[in-house]
Amino acid sequence: MALDRYEWLGRLAARVPDDALVMSTYIGAVSFEWADLTDEHPRTAHLGQMGDVIGMAVGLALALPHRLIVALDGDGSVLMELGQLVAMGQTRPENLVVWVVDNGCYESIGWNTDGPRPTATAASADLAAMAAASGVPHTATVETDTELDAQLDAAFGGEGGCRFVCVRTTPGHAKVAPRQTDGFEDKYRFVRHVERTEGRSILHLAEQDRQLMADPDSH
Amino acid sequence: MLDHAAQEAITGLKEAGIDFVSGLPDGWQRNLHELVEADPFFEYVPVCNEGVGFSICAGAWLGGKHTVLVMENSGLRVAAEYIARISLGTGVPVVLMLSYRGDLGETEHWGIPHGIVVEPLLDALRIPYQIVRDPALLRRALRRANRLAQAQLHPTAVLVSGDCIWEE
Repeated sequence: MALDRYEWLGRLAARVPDDALVMSTYIGAVSFEWADLTDEHPRTAHLGQMGDVIGMAVGLALALPHRLIVALDGDGSVLMELGQLVAMGQTRPENLVVWVVDNGCYESIGWNTDGPRPTATAASADLAAMAAASGVPHTATVETDTELDAQLDAAFGGEGGCRFVCVRTTPGHAKVAPRQTDGFEDKYRFVRHVERTEGRSILHLAEQDRQLMADPDSH
Repeated sequence: MLDHAAQEAITGLKEAGIDFVSGLPDGWQRNLHELVEADPFFEYVPVCNEGVGFSICAGAWLGGKHTVLVMENSGLRVAAEYIARISLGTGVPVVLMLSYRGDLGETEHWGIPHGIVVEPLLDALRIPYQIVRDPALLRRALRRANRLAQAQLHPTAVLVSGDCIWEE
């Protein structure tokens, strides 16, 4: 069995706490659907790409251990860099929950007459098992609404813990608009949100400008 | 690297405001990794793949950390994919600290290709770098590397070799 992506992402979006941060892939329909479902909220960094979403989420979780970090990745991306699972299992951030859209195919490259090109999860690869074998303490594969509800409750109902949830998903995407942005704009939007909510500066302040404005006698 | 050079590097990282370190230990910088790991000033994340280490550093920067990825120069080839995706594509700064295997003085045949590739690859990734062969210059190089990285929102690199590695 498998779930409809737009529908289950919607249920996930409804449960993500306001003060959480989200690291999402920024290529393909997952990003477009998530942006549509969350009304482009700046708490989401649409910055991850093939093979780096979980790694970036681990870094973000370690940097901000008091914030819940939610990662949104795809099966093709996880498969590209399995070392990320090792890093996640080794560091085990208690504030990190990874959700994988596992549709068993490389959907974003387009379909031919036989359908989408399959990924290794369509055959034998089991991402949740690999995460567990890497040391991630809480892992699950979700195939039904009931299983999804249980994982949403575990992740956001106070149980906490470092989690990896692989959601078997039917191929195909919702009719939402593509995002008209790029990685630079997404980075600034996300970092400004972190600065605002953390009450601290992250982006560099030019030294000459700082000195100029710090000196009231300067003209 | 020589112990006093490793100590200079630790001081330089602290002076640069870098408190988040990831990397994969190599023969030259193993003792630096050990010093970082033992020092509570630093958050240290060892990885088994330099590309993953770069992604982790990039994510940590988004959360407000100044970061360094410590690795052999061969690791730049592994990390290059993620440097290109993340930093050329979004503009995220990470300081890279690389052993310059294959530099003058190299004793190992397997280090030669690492030396051949590293500078052209840094250029291809538009990463400014400084080669430090004098331990006395290491602290300053790390401070400047992080200053530029934060100003340009793109990685910079410090390559260590020469008298940082050998006493002769």
